[in-house]
Amino acid sequence: MNARIGWRLASVAVGGLFIVAWQLVASAHIVSPVYLPGPDRTWNALVRGFATGTLLAQLLQTVQRMLVGWLLASLAGIVLGACIGLSRPARAYLGPTLEFLRPLPASAVIPLGIAFFGLSDGMVLGVIAFGALWPTLLATVHGFAAVEPCLYEVSRALGMSRLAVIWKIALPSSLPDILGGMRLSLTVSLILAVVGEMLASRTGLGSGILVAARTFHAPDLYAGVVLLGGLGYITAQGLFALEARLLRWRAVR
Amino acid sequence: MDSQPLIAFDRVSMTLGGTSILTDIDLRIDAGDFVCVVGPSGCGKTTLLRLLGGLLEPTAGEVRYAGKRVAEPRADIAVMFQDYGRALLPWRTVAGNVSLALEALNVPKEQRPARIAAVLATVGLGARADRYPSELSGGMQQRLQIARCLAQEPKVLLMDEPFGALDAMTRQTLQDEVLSIVAASGATVFFVTHDLEEAVYLGNRVIGLLPHPGRIASDVNVALPRPRNQLTTREDPEFARLRRHLFDFIKDADA
Amino acid sequence: MKRALAIGRGLAFPAAAIVLCQIAAMVSHLQSDTLASPAAALVAGAHAFADGSILLATVQTLANAFGGLALGGCIGLILGILLGSSTTADRLMEFSVEALRPIPSVALIPVAMLIYGFGYRMEIAIVAFASFWPVLILSRNAVAGVDAALFDVARVLRLPPLARTIKIVLPAALPRIFVAFRLAAGIALTVAVTVEVSTNPLGLGYGMMLAEQSLHPELMLAYLLWIGIIGWGLNFAIVNAQRRLFGRSANVRTAT
Repeated sequence: MNARIGWRLASVAVGGLFIVAWQLVASAHIVSPVYLPGPDRTWNALVRGFATGTLLAQLLQTVQRMLVGWLLASLAGIVLGACIGLSRPARAYLGPTLEFLRPLPASAVIPLGIAFFGLSDGMVLGVIAFGALWPTLLATVHGFAAVEPCLYEVSRALGMSRLAVIWKIALPSSLPDILGGMRLSLTVSLILAVVGEMLASRTGLGSGILVAARTFHAPDLYAGVVLLGGLGYITAQGLFALEARLLRWRAVR
Repeated sequence: MDSQPLIAFDRVSMTLGGTSILTDIDLRIDAGDFVCVVGPSGCGKTTLLRLLGGLLEPTAGEVRYAGKRVAEPRADIAVMFQDYGRALLPWRTVAGNVSLALEALNVPKEQRPARIAAVLATVGLGARADRYPSELSGGMQQRLQIARCLAQEPKVLLMDEPFGALDAMTRQTLQDEVLSIVAASGATVFFVTHDLEEAVYLGNRVIGLLPHPGRIASDVNVALPRPRNQLTTREDPEFARLRRHLFDFIKDADA
Repeated sequence: MKRALAIGRGLAFPAAAIVLCQIAAMVSHLQSDTLASPAAALVAGAHAFADGSILLATVQTLANAFGGLALGGCIGLILGILLGSSTTADRLMEFSVEALRPIPSVALIPVAMLIYGFGYRMEIAIVAFASFWPVLILSRNAVAGVDAALFDVARVLRLPPLARTIKIVLPAALPRIFVAFRLAAGIALTVAVTVEVSTNPLGLGYGMMLAEQSLHPELMLAYLLWIGIIGWGLNFAIVNAQRRLFGRSANVRTAT
């Protein structure tokens, strides 16, 4: 246990070294301060941004879009994915189409969204939900299609109803896949939220950093990037914790 | 002595995917019998078990339980699967896995904890009720399957090579446990195994199947005294005679 | 025969959907700034091929994607081998990797814009950042996952570290490293298109935005379909290459 903590501290120290190096490079103007503000100016910009309330407002907007889009997409993805995954004919007919759509860049749908909804909040939310749908949908289809066949036999031997089979056997069995898909969907949500904000100039971190770049306010830009990194980190960790809790039963040996 | 057998296979044939697995099987099993089914691979012994369990429908003939045709799985016939790793729900605890059988039977919620505790005590898993299957050894996982079957309070137990994947010591322990459980509950047992000695040790009747076509080629009574004992029973001359008989039977099958 | 049936069944749904859309468009005499019929899209696409515009855009996008993939992938591979080979290095870098990895690549678009303006360098830089991480993590895992027994073999043969890496570690880890690049390739294409859609006036993403803004929905749909084909085709080609190079041993399930 002590060894683990020791290594953890050492790695944080290494991270600190990188920050010091960043500061040295910035202070010595090895790279122009227009492009690379040091951690000191970035930190000041962060503090300033929160003090004036601007960064908080942007952060909340981005988080809200991301979460709402993600939740909608996850719900739709799980329900649709379950229906398709449980039905062999559905898998046969829809599978190839889904496989074709899997590598499609989610952002390619943005122009379509703009065409339909204009540069509005609805467009951004719609694009987020649509883009975030696919990882969860595909993972759910896979999870439901890959349920251990012996368990279906067990359920037949016990005389379980179809609904009971789906709820008590197929769904729990698919949960690892579903959660993995939802994790990917969350990443996609964040990306599309940022891009959507950049394009539609809605209030949010995405538009915030774009404006900062255009007006050459590098510290504000970097502060926003750091915040977005932090957002990505917290959401990923949150989902990992949820997975660990829900999937306690996985073989630890 | 009942004139009506509990289980009857009446000229049962089974063809799967164009291949004939079983041909014209006639078999009567009385209540309280411990029937062991042996035979070389491909002889159809697992198919026979699945027909009895209602998991398959015969291509010809009829499988009857208590006089009525078996068309689907029944609550009083419990099935124990060969691959315990795949037949248990990994996301439910030991107690949860047993509970599954009770839920399927629509046993009221209040009655479940007591029944689960009782059945876990019988198989010796009482202290591990909150563990997950991944935390159990092979022998314990198989006991969990037994517990789930017992929770149904079955009149018939179908066991498909349940101890094949276990080490010899665990196998012997579980053999004796099954014998005592069955003696206590009075259930009829249909036990498929490839282990000839196990078949003689456990059963009061051993059925030998031969493949191509799948048919019953031997049906012997095992008159060894109960309760069985791993040492004394296996040293009994009658045990050796039956074992030799089955050995020859299997060897002839290869010829 | 079975395969033909499966392909037929798979095509039935999209074919039916396209036909329905076409009929709907014809019946309603579609004249819109936002929607176009499949036939119109195909015609627009044909024109774009004929005048070379879509091909040019394709080359631009693919150049950015592969350039970024090569840059980010190589750095990621080298560092991944390093972190995979040395537990010490891996442990020391744990925090830094954890802190930098979650930064969404799109968040760096304004940074790259600030430094490079618009053009190839900016897009390649962002694609490189995005492809770097999956290659780093997965190749690190691949190298770390090499059977310990092989390291014993290297010790017994008294191989120096570089030789050990080249002759034993890399070949053993190669299937999974290939999978890492396959994943990164998909990400590279996606990020490239994203950068083009949001800011960079180059490539297929930009072509799509241009078509939308100039109220040519049929051209926009043609671009969309073409992007889908490119994405699918790229994945298909890589999966086949994987199968051919590594056979069944390469059917490693990638973690989602």
